[in-house]
Amino acid sequence: MKRVSCMFLVMCVLFSIFGITVMAGGNSGKITIWAWDPNFNIPVMAEAKARYQKTYPNMEIEIVEMAKADVEQKLNTVLASRTKEGLPEIVLIEDYNAQKYLQAYPGAFADLTKKINRKEFASYKNELMTLKGKIYGVPFDSGVSALFYRTDILAEAGYKPADLNNITWDQFIEIGKKVKEKTGKAMMAFDTADGGLMRIMMQSAGQWYFDQNGNPNIVKNEALKEAYATYKKLVDSGIIKRTSGWNEWAASFNKGETASVITGCWIIGTIKAEKNQAGKWAVAPTPRLNLASSVNYSNLGGSSWYVIEKSKNKAVAEDFLKTIFATDQDFYQKILVAQGAVGSYLPSQSGVAYTEADPFFGGQRVFSDLCAWMKKIPSINYGLFTYEADSAMMVVMPDYLAGKINIDTALKRAEEQLKNQINY
Amino acid sequence: MESIPQLPRLGREVKRHGHVSSKNRYGWFFISFSLIILGVFMLYPIISSLYMSTMSSRGMIQRYVGLGNYFKLVKDSVFLQALKNTLIFFIIQVPIMLFLALVIASLLNDKSIKFRGVFRTGIFLPAVTSLVTYAVLFKMMFSLDGFINKTLLAMRLISQPVPWLIDPFWAKITVMIALTWRWTGYNMVFYLSGLQNIPDELYEAAEIDGANKLRQFMYITVPILKPIILFTAITSTIGTLQLFDEPTSLSSTVDTAATIGPANSLLTMSVYIYNLCFKYMPNFGYASTVAYVIVILVAILSIIQFKLVGDKR
Repeated sequence: MKRVSCMFLVMCVLFSIFGITVMAGGNSGKITIWAWDPNFNIPVMAEAKARYQKTYPNMEIEIVEMAKADVEQKLNTVLASRTKEGLPEIVLIEDYNAQKYLQAYPGAFADLTKKINRKEFASYKNELMTLKGKIYGVPFDSGVSALFYRTDILAEAGYKPADLNNITWDQFIEIGKKVKEKTGKAMMAFDTADGGLMRIMMQSAGQWYFDQNGNPNIVKNEALKEAYATYKKLVDSGIIKRTSGWNEWAASFNKGETASVITGCWIIGTIKAEKNQAGKWAVAPTPRLNLASSVNYSNLGGSSWYVIEKSKNKAVAEDFLKTIFATDQDFYQKILVAQGAVGSYLPSQSGVAYTEADPFFGGQRVFSDLCAWMKKIPSINYGLFTYEADSAMMVVMPDYLAGKINIDTALKRAEEQLKNQINY
Repeated sequence: MESIPQLPRLGREVKRHGHVSSKNRYGWFFISFSLIILGVFMLYPIISSLYMSTMSSRGMIQRYVGLGNYFKLVKDSVFLQALKNTLIFFIIQVPIMLFLALVIASLLNDKSIKFRGVFRTGIFLPAVTSLVTYAVLFKMMFSLDGFINKTLLAMRLISQPVPWLIDPFWAKITVMIALTWRWTGYNMVFYLSGLQNIPDELYEAAEIDGANKLRQFMYITVPILKPIILFTAITSTIGTLQLFDEPTSLSSTVDTAATIGPANSLLTMSVYIYNLCFKYMPNFGYASTVAYVIVILVAILSIIQFKLVGDKR
């Protein structure tokens, strides 16, 4: 109940008209970068900065660390106010939001179609930052998804690693039931208010909340319907531990209460944080849906770097991204080891760090596997309204899980809400 | 009370000396700074956001829709849910909190209680704790296998763990508990200070007349504290209608989770405004419209409360 007035938000927007002149670059050869996550993106950028400054010692690079929500808030406010001051040269944008920024702020981001060799990046990353034939960002980390599981718990239930390769969600549930019966442990922790798994399932079938023209595609979306039904199957089967929010979710596998995690590869850092579980983990491809179109490869999250068109040192910023993020293979080895950052720059993936066996995962060549799967992720256009759609789907989820409404009613309601909300 | 009537007298003296116009000029000069700042930073944004509420925008691209946003509101099920949630918090949580504050204040006003200061401080402290700290603690305590469920299970009050924060209904209850915990002490302080102004003679006389504690509370304490009750009611109303911190901190992280609380059960109007601006496709025009709804609601509810308390002055 803090007395943050609602007007305050609106005022913030107006304030920027009067000039937020915090980070005006000057022509001194300085570039500013906005990013979030002090354990991931920030140290990655710091490494990139150090490498670039070796060649250009006079180049000043300022990395501004903010919470993700704050980066988005600031970017939205400054871009909407049309001021030329206060913008960084480079900003990190989450892949799901890429199209939203590109379309809501036309001309705000630099066209990088030909600045870097697009063929050297995972194709699905290029696709999501393409607007009207132009490609805007420099792809950064991949959220290639996988089934991470505890080999010891599954062995106790009588499963070998081969039993978890290329399975369907139904098989996953069957395995989970056996695990629960034999070990008493839940197969995985699951926040039913989180749309992440649904997005993994949908993308595995090359579908999204929207069709190719950007119109909501919910009621008639077979992959979405199957994914939605799988949520209920997972809950009803009793193989999951229900959690709320990230901390509880992460704690469940760190404490060894659950046997597996299905999410993007950026989770590796969190899994490895629990050192006494070393050697007990393995990685398998993501389960697929019961659809011919569904494959065992998908993605969750990931983000990319974008250059602001009107920033003072745009050319330098582009050169910086090209020199480090689209050329320096050694850089990618370094950040993979230090931060567990799986880049989407394909030539780097034959490097030492990517092909090394990882004792934490019982000697499995985890990153080689992940990179092989990354190339097979179906390319889709995330469209403009991923978060609106996610919310619409999840609002009706509790009623559907409780059996109060059937799946068709749920999807119909979600589509109605979404259509009304994105109507402009 | 006595200093107020002196002011006009002072004014009259000025008039007698005939310096009215020059003094006025100086007066205006001195207040002009704050007036200009007020105009630029308060009045201008208010008017500008009213204008903004007639636009629909997608980031930089915007178009004039007149009252279109207001018509869209009526059909927007997400907004209606946010409105409903906010009103539920307001109707259920505010009376409970204010009543509790009043009861605790009058209990702690009893001079025969030892260590009153300790209790008062203890109950007030939540209001000054850091929001994030307490949100994290509450989340841990109210998780499915958290402290609260474990205690209740051990006491055999429940047979199944309560799905706090997972079930839409219980999520609301959890936030209400959190709000009450945090703000009861804050309101209590106002009542305590008000109670200092009630002379003991009134209670003595009532006691001689044979009124018990409850009657004393109902017929002496409450009527005399009326203006303070009104004040706390209005500030709590405004606070609840602008409720933002607790729902966002107690639900999953705002920028990644799909809904605010299970099935958007914790989505309040302020959170919706935030989402419209920064999480969804940025539509500042529509967000301003929602902001204006809050303004109108606060005005209406405040007027009703003034009327109910019936203080003619």
